Amino acid sequence: MAKQNFWIACLALGALSIYLFVSAPPPLEEKKISDAAIPVERMFEILKAENDVVRAMWTKEVVGAGKQTGLKFDERWRDADVEAGPLPALFLRETAKSLEKNPTPLSLFLGSDYPVNSANRFEGLQLEKFQVVKQTLKPQFFFMPDIQMQVAMFSDVAVVEGCIQCHNKHEQSPKHDWKLNDVMGATTWMYPSGSVSMDELLRTLAALRQGFKDAYESYLEKARKFANPPTIGEHWPAEGYFLPSSEVFMGEIAKRTAPHTLAVLSSLASKPKPGGSAANKEGGALVIAR
Amino acid sequence: MRAKAGGARKWQNRAYVIGFCLGLAILAFTVLPVGEWFHAKGPMNTGHGKLACAACHKHAPGSFRQQIQANLRHAFGRREGPAPFFGRLPVGNADCMACHERPNDRHPVYRFLEPRFSQAREKLRPHQCVSCHAEHHGRRVTLAETGYCVNCHKNTRLKKDPIDVSHADLIADKQWDSCLGCHDFHGNHIMQIEKSVGKRTPTEKIRAYFDGGPSPYGTTLHYKAKQDG
Repeated sequence: MAKQNFWIACLALGALSIYLFVSAPPPLEEKKISDAAIPVERMFEILKAENDVVRAMWTKEVVGAGKQTGLKFDERWRDADVEAGPLPALFLRETAKSLEKNPTPLSLFLGSDYPVNSANRFEGLQLEKFQVVKQTLKPQFFFMPDIQMQVAMFSDVAVVEGCIQCHNKHEQSPKHDWKLNDVMGATTWMYPSGSVSMDELLRTLAALRQGFKDAYESYLEKARKFANPPTIGEHWPAEGYFLPSSEVFMGEIAKRTAPHTLAVLSSLASKPKPGGSAANKEGGALVIAR
Repeated sequence: MRAKAGGARKWQNRAYVIGFCLGLAILAFTVLPVGEWFHAKGPMNTGHGKLACAACHKHAPGSFRQQIQANLRHAFGRREGPAPFFGRLPVGNADCMACHERPNDRHPVYRFLEPRFSQAREKLRPHQCVSCHAEHHGRRVTLAETGYCVNCHKNTRLKKDPIDVSHADLIADKQWDSCLGCHDFHGNHIMQIEKSVGKRTPTEKIRAYFDGGPSPYGTTLHYKAKQDG
């Protein structure tokens, strides 16, 4: 009887082994720790540089120039009875919203110690880190154990007169003596792992660019419904009552960010992987949202 | 005697067939959509009555065989990590957002991931939809308290306060139950916000709304949730 059971067990194990390994489908893919060789701080720096370019472009060439040619920008821009576009901080929030919808686990926030909207006031650890950013102008990288997130904070500087004028005049603003080049706040970026693979980095970069695109297209969608809609196409607000199309806007972003981003990506790609293994030659193609 | 034995065998065979059919029926009942209600943890929340299980409980990557295989490979050191999930994926914010994502959400869950909300996260876990809307409870909001605004709004000050009793006074008096009497948390209702604190919706009606009752904020919404799951 015991012998019989032994053979039954052997047969069952054999059948299970054939089922699981011999006739099995291909193994599940896994993210190997060894693939993630790029410190997340480097990724944050690339993303921040891209965001800086877009933020400056939006502030100067869309909001600043647009106001001169009859376009309006308002914090209530999403309201049905308001014909306006998003102010710079709200453009960033739209980008952040798009990121949250994207499967890439990147988050982005903008805050300050003196925000117009009190909901964006830094508190606790974030405020402490912001004070360091403000004093040193150096980014702060830290880990939040309760949400298991790597965090980066970068200074957000008043780049044009429009920023400080708007904040100084705003009735809900707690501070009215902003000056050009003041650190008005900080962008906070978050990602769940301390290191990323090149593929992850590229996908995250693509997600951020998709965020810029989504944010801009939500404005275009609104602008098309204005009583007097601006002409959308090749031209920019500096040339008149125009707005660039989504393709033109994204093309300009790609043109301005490419030199820096590609240089950094190249330097990261050429670094030897830990363990001295040969670099994977099947790297993902850089997707540029257009 | 032989006839008797044959009769017993006949009944035995019938019992086998009945047992087999019964087993098949039970199996069908547990795997087919018709029996989903039977193995749900509890009644669906308000507005979710028509959702199929698969609307939220998505299949984990790979087949059962691949998942078992991955775990065994991991056990024998042939793989760095086990299969990330077995059977179904855990339900998370993304599953809720697939139907409830709105561009105008006043309190989107992801905002609470910011480092500065660590205390609120500790107390309420507002960065997860299910902290307030735990499914299978047959209600709309499962959070017990109505004064949860205290966790983030202690320092809220309005320079131009439009109401008859200022927000500063309400905060000083710790009237945290009054907030939801005028404001809907996610800001999705199209409504006129009450300017008189005395005319706000009483807390009992808010609680009834939490339990699945009529909306004190009206029924006109900026964005309707997707109906198809």
